[in-house]
Amino acid sequence: MSDRDSDVIAADARARIFEPGYRTYRGVRLGVAHSVWTLARHTAERILGLKRPARYKVLPFAAILIAYLPAIAFIGIVALIPNGLQRLPNLIPGPGRYYGFITAAIVLFAALAAPEALCPDKRSHFLGLYLSSPLNRSTYLLAKAIAVIGVLLLVTLGPPLLLVVGLALQNDGPRSFGAFMETLGQILAAGLSLSLMFGALSLAIPSLTDRRGIASAGSLLLILGSTAITNVIAFGVHGPRNVLALSLGRLPFELALRIFGLNGLSTRFRGGLGSPNGSPLSTVVVVAASVGVTLVAAAVTWWRVVGTEVTR
Amino acid sequence: MLGNIDDRAGSLNGVRPVVTAVEVTKRWSTTQALSGATFEIGDGVTGLLGANGAGKTTLLGLILGLHRPNSGTITVLGRDPWVAGADVRARLGYAPEHDALPPDVAAHDVVRHLAELHGLPRREATSRASDALWEVGLGEERFRPVGTMSTGQRQRVKLAQAIVHDPELLLLDEPTNGLDPAQRDDMLALIDHVGGDLGMHVILSSHLLEEVERVSASVVILDAGRVVAEGEIADLSRTAPELIVELDRDDGTDPARTLASTLQASGLSVAVEGDRLVVVALEASWVYDVVRDALADGGYSVRRLERRTASLEDVYLARAGSGRTI
Repeated sequence: MSDRDSDVIAADARARIFEPGYRTYRGVRLGVAHSVWTLARHTAERILGLKRPARYKVLPFAAILIAYLPAIAFIGIVALIPNGLQRLPNLIPGPGRYYGFITAAIVLFAALAAPEALCPDKRSHFLGLYLSSPLNRSTYLLAKAIAVIGVLLLVTLGPPLLLVVGLALQNDGPRSFGAFMETLGQILAAGLSLSLMFGALSLAIPSLTDRRGIASAGSLLLILGSTAITNVIAFGVHGPRNVLALSLGRLPFELALRIFGLNGLSTRFRGGLGSPNGSPLSTVVVVAASVGVTLVAAAVTWWRVVGTEVTR
Repeated sequence: MLGNIDDRAGSLNGVRPVVTAVEVTKRWSTTQALSGATFEIGDGVTGLLGANGAGKTTLLGLILGLHRPNSGTITVLGRDPWVAGADVRARLGYAPEHDALPPDVAAHDVVRHLAELHGLPRREATSRASDALWEVGLGEERFRPVGTMSTGQRQRVKLAQAIVHDPELLLLDEPTNGLDPAQRDDMLALIDHVGGDLGMHVILSSHLLEEVERVSASVVILDAGRVVAEGEIADLSRTAPELIVELDRDDGTDPARTLASTLQASGLSVAVEGDRLVVVALEASWVYDVVRDALADGGYSVRRLERRTASLEDVYLARAGSGRTI
């Protein structure tokens, strides 16, 4: 036997098949915060259709595209026309008025994509498995809310932010650093308030059913129906003016306008909550209605999730 | 951060029961689901046996900390699951009775997701999801959407997601539901493997005596919300061992009654079944000698002499519905 042969045999003698298979886990176990983050990330991915077939991506990404397209167009106009913002002050909106261009995208996103957060868990009974993990009903809902609000921020916070940053990069934005930071703060507050309100609404309706289609139709009906009904009450039959604060299609945007120091009357925002006699609703009424609607929607979701039977 | 798996050592030494329930009562509006349930569940595989509606799933919900008992106390791995729900559930695995998996998601993704929810970092969760699916025989199928799998495969995915995070206690609710006999055999073999080779404590909830008897060392029998029997199956089966004496009856006499009288006179507990069977309670080993002598002295023609122990079915039939506790 040659030296080379003996080396091969020695090597063979040391060879092992590495197939550990299932084994005891001795690593770290992260806490509830990790579970909440895991569920929030997973839910956000599902809402956006990530890691799923292409048909699940169409709706959310179409809404996102619709939300960003005007901002990209305005930035393009300003880029092509020097001092565009000064020369075309009525064409290029500020970040507050920008929401008027993307109302449909936000409503569609909230109504059509967000039900994905709750409905499948109930329909497939996966909720029972979630609640057999370190999550409880409160932390489960927290994770879902984080996911829905976080994803909604893509269409409520991102586009005006892009607009302001894009204009600023072309010296057409706020005139000072202080003004720029103030605008950023307003955008952040407006984006968060819109996401909170639409997030609460888009969790409340799906919590009542396990069917995505019904949840989406119900959300649209609630948002658009409340707007139509309050318009009829306020303008058609000259009912109490404050009923306009229950127009769920307008209230969130009205709150956003107030954050930017704008009134929703026709001079600034044609779709705003102007009362029949032309004066805007008071900011107190708008804020109170916004907080009330958000809390009621959150309470409905809580009541439904707490009441869902998983084992009995 | 929760403790690591080494914490398990304290519960595997046999000193601390895995689950303890004392006078646990649970009501659902007008339905009394559990009524004063008291029992202890120790190491290994324990069957939770009872008819549909006996309170098994409610009990699993209490063990998971999803419900609060109306009265009584329940302790799981040394903690109250209602108070320390997150910590307790991090150490439990649960496979529910009904389909509970999203059909459009790959098995591997479901199992990995559940592993992460139970506190495993993403990288560990990914690797262990594959290991768990291989362990239940779905290695090659692990990237298939759950909705395209057969009932048997989906049951295996449920088992994989329950064991992926290496729990101390595994709760399996009717894991053989919807399986054909071959698949049921395979699933029971898997459960036996999980409870034996992988060293997990298992509570197997089932209404099927045969499968509980096959894989469980211990049993808790529920009937209409009451615990009617609990303990090791071997002990329960030894509750009333009997000696069966079957006699020939060729000459028209009544040998069974004659023999019974003789044995009763010797101080034994005896019953006659039909006209040929004498059943003698095996209260001590010397009973065999007394019976042998009586048979020899009386010149009986013996067809069968057999020691009969109560099967789990006998125990169940005797206890369920009677309202008695052992």
